[in-house]
Amino acid sequence: MTGLRTPVGPSRRNLLVRSAYGLGAAGLHWLAACDSSGLPEETQPPGKAARVIFLFQSGGPSHVDLFDPKPVLARRAGEEIPESVFKGQRVTGMVAHQKSYQAMPSTYAFKPRGQCGMELSELLPFTGEVADELCLLRAVHTDAINHDPAITFFQTGSQLPGRPSLGAWVHYGLGSANQDLPAFVVLHSVASEGPAGQGLLARLWGAGFLPSRHQGVPLRPRGDPVLYLSDPPGISRDRRRIFLDGLSSLNRLASSRSGDPEIEARIDQYELAYRMQASVPGLMDVSGEPDWVYDLYGEAARIPGTYAANCLLARRLAERNVRFVQLYHRGWDHHQELPRRLPVSARDTDQPSAALLRDLKQRGMLEDTLVVWAGEFGRTPYAQGEMRLDDYGRDHHGRCFSIWMAGAGLKAGVTHGTTDEFGFNASSGSVAVHDVQATILHLLGLDHERLVYEYQGRHFRLTDTAGRVVREVLS
Amino acid sequence: MQRNRLEWVVRRSAALAGCAAIGAIQGQPVDFTRDVRPILAERCFPCHGPDAALRQAGMRLDRRESATGRTLSGRVPIVPGDPDSSELVRRVGTADESVRMPPLSSNRAALNPRQVDLLRQWIREGAAYEGHWAFSPPRKSAPPPVSDPSWVRSRIDPFVLGRLDAEGLAPSPEAGAAVWLRRMTLDLHGLPPSWPETVAFGRDAAHRGQRAFEEAVDRALASPRYGERMAMDWMDVARYADTHGYNNDSERSMWRWRDWVIDAFNSNLPYDRFITAQLAGDLLPDPTLDQRIATGFNRNHGINSEGGIIDEEYRVEYVADRVRTVGIAWLGITLECARCHDHRYDPISQRDYYRLFAFFNNQPEHGEAGRVANAAPFIAAPTPSQALRLRALQETVHRLEIEERHALAAWRPGTGDLEALRAPRHPSLPDLSVGCDDGAVPGVSGPACTPTELGGAELGELRSGGDFTLSLWLRADRPQSDAPLFSAIDYDPDQASAVHGAGVQLRLVGDEIELRLSHRFPSYSITVQSQGAGIGPNQWHHAAARYASLPDQTTPRARASSVRLFVDGREVATQVLNDDLQSAASFREPYRIGLENGRQAKRFSGRIDELGVWRTALPERDLREVFESVALPWALQRARSPRERGWLFRALSSESLAGAARRRLFALRRELPTTMVMRELAVPRQTRVLLRGRYDAPGDPVGPGVPEALLGAWPKGQPKTRLGLARWLTRPDHPTTARVVVNRLWQQFFGSGLVRTSEDFGTRGEAPSHPALLDWLAAEFVESGWDVKRLLRQIVLSATYRQASERRPEMRGRDPDSRLLARGPIVRLPAEMIRDQALAVAGLLGSQVGGPSVRPHQPEGLYEGIVVGEAFPGTTWDQGAGEDLYRRSLYTFWKRTLPHPLMTVFDAPAREVCTARRQVTNTPLQALALMNAPVFTEAAREIAGQVLEGASRARARTDALFRLVLAREPLPEETAVMLDTLARLMRSYRWDRAAAGEVAGDAARGPWSLNEWATYTALASLVLNLDEAITKR
Repeated sequence: MTGLRTPVGPSRRNLLVRSAYGLGAAGLHWLAACDSSGLPEETQPPGKAARVIFLFQSGGPSHVDLFDPKPVLARRAGEEIPESVFKGQRVTGMVAHQKSYQAMPSTYAFKPRGQCGMELSELLPFTGEVADELCLLRAVHTDAINHDPAITFFQTGSQLPGRPSLGAWVHYGLGSANQDLPAFVVLHSVASEGPAGQGLLARLWGAGFLPSRHQGVPLRPRGDPVLYLSDPPGISRDRRRIFLDGLSSLNRLASSRSGDPEIEARIDQYELAYRMQASVPGLMDVSGEPDWVYDLYGEAARIPGTYAANCLLARRLAERNVRFVQLYHRGWDHHQELPRRLPVSARDTDQPSAALLRDLKQRGMLEDTLVVWAGEFGRTPYAQGEMRLDDYGRDHHGRCFSIWMAGAGLKAGVTHGTTDEFGFNASSGSVAVHDVQATILHLLGLDHERLVYEYQGRHFRLTDTAGRVVREVLS
Repeated sequence: MQRNRLEWVVRRSAALAGCAAIGAIQGQPVDFTRDVRPILAERCFPCHGPDAALRQAGMRLDRRESATGRTLSGRVPIVPGDPDSSELVRRVGTADESVRMPPLSSNRAALNPRQVDLLRQWIREGAAYEGHWAFSPPRKSAPPPVSDPSWVRSRIDPFVLGRLDAEGLAPSPEAGAAVWLRRMTLDLHGLPPSWPETVAFGRDAAHRGQRAFEEAVDRALASPRYGERMAMDWMDVARYADTHGYNNDSERSMWRWRDWVIDAFNSNLPYDRFITAQLAGDLLPDPTLDQRIATGFNRNHGINSEGGIIDEEYRVEYVADRVRTVGIAWLGITLECARCHDHRYDPISQRDYYRLFAFFNNQPEHGEAGRVANAAPFIAAPTPSQALRLRALQETVHRLEIEERHALAAWRPGTGDLEALRAPRHPSLPDLSVGCDDGAVPGVSGPACTPTELGGAELGELRSGGDFTLSLWLRADRPQSDAPLFSAIDYDPDQASAVHGAGVQLRLVGDEIELRLSHRFPSYSITVQSQGAGIGPNQWHHAAARYASLPDQTTPRARASSVRLFVDGREVATQVLNDDLQSAASFREPYRIGLENGRQAKRFSGRIDELGVWRTALPERDLREVFESVALPWALQRARSPRERGWLFRALSSESLAGAARRRLFALRRELPTTMVMRELAVPRQTRVLLRGRYDAPGDPVGPGVPEALLGAWPKGQPKTRLGLARWLTRPDHPTTARVVVNRLWQQFFGSGLVRTSEDFGTRGEAPSHPALLDWLAAEFVESGWDVKRLLRQIVLSATYRQASERRPEMRGRDPDSRLLARGPIVRLPAEMIRDQALAVAGLLGSQVGGPSVRPHQPEGLYEGIVVGEAFPGTTWDQGAGEDLYRRSLYTFWKRTLPHPLMTVFDAPAREVCTARRQVTNTPLQALALMNAPVFTEAAREIAGQVLEGASRARARTDALFRLVLAREPLPEETAVMLDTLARLMRSYRWDRAAAGEVAGDAARGPWSLNEWATYTALASLVLNLDEAITKR
């Protein structure tokens, strides 16, 4: 199969495109009906990646303190960012009243890491050790300058609510490869810097206008890992079986009377639910993980709900062939007190993120797993508020920022894109958010221009009317 | 795998055949609207259609005159009567990818052979174009002759049967009375009928036939449950939520609007007035409270309070959201496409879009708003019972004040009185006191201040909670519409700044005083204005304001109800203009008297004296001392004008009856709920076309208007306002409004509309399955005076609706989705109904109609790691108690960015945007929820109790389970399964008393064993989980 390039052929992906093009809304409706009664799922997608683990860093990690060294900021510390660089670009209301925008150097040292010599901040010692696995994009940019629109843009392709999330598109495009677990799983992490953070929104893992079964399923660190998973007290596994036998028999009688295929589908869903009741606790039960795993991910991985524990869980999900794992850490919005707070979040995420890559690698899974580490934007190279070395802050910055990807189908140990000497604008190899999305889909074997869904008379796609696969970083 | 794929190809062709069933009828001429336009619109119009900017080769196919003319290349796309000479046919039919249309680069698939054939046939038959069906007014046509007139029960039926006749199909037999009753009750109440109702109706139907059906419908329509059910669907369209959305997603109060919707349906408000009230209730002459509440429809959109967003960017979004919503809700056209460029498929230009935009672009609103409460503009919206109490109190106050005036007129002060009045007062000492005693102009006590900036007037930090009291005397030289009296506020010249207008200020606005407490004015402020204070010029008046934080606040926000205003020693009535302040405001230096800073700085013309600020909320007694310490000496020296006499008189009396009544009145007013409304700006905002839809790229100015050429003329004499827009939309001959409305109501009963794309009646929408029926319904609806109940009555009594819903084998390939209506509807119940039904059959459902939204059980920790901190109201789920746990799901608190999981698991949209129809999916998470969510397990226990109590034999009990939940008797084979399952469960629990006890929980009572409790609870749960239980058939 060559994926979406072939206009006809019995693949699920072709159907998606064709149904939208050829059959209109009627076709889609039919697709949904067929799908729930067992459309063949793509167990081996034609792309190099079979699954994605997206480590989302909500709040906007500071690229100039983590990934993109800018010695000029130190040399010209306190100087106004020149108008030739600023170019009248819009700023948020939080700094709009500032009288000046002074270059604010990073107080963290950068040095070349790995064979490839990728320059990374001292705040990321573990990430540095896997530098040779990374594909670092330094010139990503976004139009949005505020959290809600920016994160919504990164995760749904539109700054405004209403669109399906990246994971939902992937689920829609590729279906599930696992019969006992959801295909699209969401993990929320408790950040060490405190429970607060920018709010996340169900739309970020929602299905938008796609059928709602494509929405992500959050796995929770306490209580039922999947909502309503546990049978109530007194309903043992064998009693649930008796219950389901009776339920299926009655539903089957109804099905034969009414001829409604939805009933057969429902019987299947109850069986899947029953299997999930066994498979999810198995997934969550990390007691069998040996000690060296905790050496690798860090001791925090023993505490459910931490970013480290979630990275470990992401690996376990990948092992079970879950298609899309969306993980969140939300401790990156450093308007003030950056020197105190940034290292905390870096510590939360550095070792586990690197451990995940190592772990996947040693299990031979990095070859067909794509890992993405990104926030919704970076932070300004100028100080927000007063400029003090021991207590400064940075505002949101979308003109350029850094993200990394690693694994399936990507060059390893490369840095793509550069920014100007202030880290203010992309200067080469610039990559738009839609390009990142197009590239992720491409690696999964999905053509972002052809993965479409018709809604309200329009063909919608994740990348809207834009997007370019960043071929320069493909292996 | 390979085998599966083969199967899949086969199924796909079956589905295609199914789709064809609603398309062309074999052997009949091609219909342009139904068969041809959809193909052209989808594949050709994007480059050869209405959008001039994208048009390729100067060629357009959406108009016959250009499609049949010669193009730039000299070829003719369409030669009527001659498909072989038509370039269009050659280009879409060729296998040569280099010339084939649509080109590969367009990512639009080639036409399939059937589509090419349709085009050929259409051209052979003369290539007739028709205007798009939805853009000409609906007309009633005569019902078609039918094969079996005796089948017909309503005027809907001939249209349906006529179509079935044409297809050579027969309708399904009539459903049983009980099946119909359940279907109808679910549709009109969102709840199942009770078993006694079912039994009684079965008897009645057998005896009295049609009459029994009619009366059952009339009973259903008269119940308050009807309005609740109708409101349920409208909430999705109107994107109602109890929170603002976006990433702070804090609480708002719009339930008064939701209750208005319920009332509107229950009182059968004619639908044209339902539209008008929501679009323009505020612009009606002398609008009622209800009409103003109704305008909240256009404020239900999300509002973003994220710090630092650009105001205009989001203000524009809110207006665009209104346009989109009105487009989907009533116009049936997806206008959004035309926001950035001319519409690709429908003849709506970008200019048309912004002319519609202009109607909604005229609100006193801000992009960044709604941080902790309702965003302005809003109104106090008393409930009906509060309104009654208000009126009674107002009358009392009025009466007592007249009495008080009489007493004053009769009052002659005695010597003792005067002595008492001369006694010195001992007012509490202010923390800041300014008297301008070295001033040159006379004041109320010594010299007065003229407008001045105070140097070094350090007040220090206010105490936590921000309590303060502010008092001053003022004498205006002339009437002033708006002037600062005391300013401790900073109107930073940059209005986009997040701290523009932070501080505290007292102003004179006409005859009233206004207090502002603000972090960012006006969005994040408390702004309270007096009502009827009567502060005239050339007279000394005392004005005081007090902020006393409430002790029992559960959320940290500051509240306007903490503010009281006093004029001339008496508390005055107030109205709240803004009430969205996260925490107490602080006094910003420098302080100014009669002055303020900022770009629009105003200056008070007059004198101010005896300014005092206390860092506490002075008790009223002390405040009175403050007033009287100046007022009494002043009044005693004057010629005893009525006003001054009043001061003296009141100083001698203890609190009067009138004063006490006023206090009660003000207290009631402070606790009234508020609701967001539409309100026009006095000076209209100029609307401009926004290039590429961007807020910061304004183009040509446009005025409000509608696409008249497409959708009908503006009604004569109507203003170009939202009110005119409503009048235009509800014109009897408006082409889309009534069609869109009846279609959506039809969808509510049949699962899909006659036009399945109920949000889109444009050229890309699906053509109606029964165009003449849709038109008949729409025209009839308008003629009936937009009578919703009448329309629904017709639908549920029709033979079409009364058909059995079993799928017939011969229809499987022909019409699997029942677009031809050869059977009754099969629809999975919406999320709300699934929960409500379980509560209802368990006898748990609360019956209160309306009121603030409630928080029933929701899994703990659902918000953990996801929502913002608790500084924002609406970020914690404080589970309710008592009946709140069991109210209808319509009343469940709707958190927009993370709605209740029992809603979203069963396909409810988040309501971040308008949604006209829900998708229906079938997932394992639904199974888990139905088996294990506490509301369902609790309902199962209650049902178990009912059947244990109601009968003693197993068979009778399992029968009862079926009756209670499914409103029918079980079939023998079903009873067999039930009894077998019962026996297996009984065996399983026999030796496990502990487990049985866990299932039964606290509900166990009566003489029954724990084993029986556990078993019947499981069986009740089983029946609640049946496909039939959650499906309307």
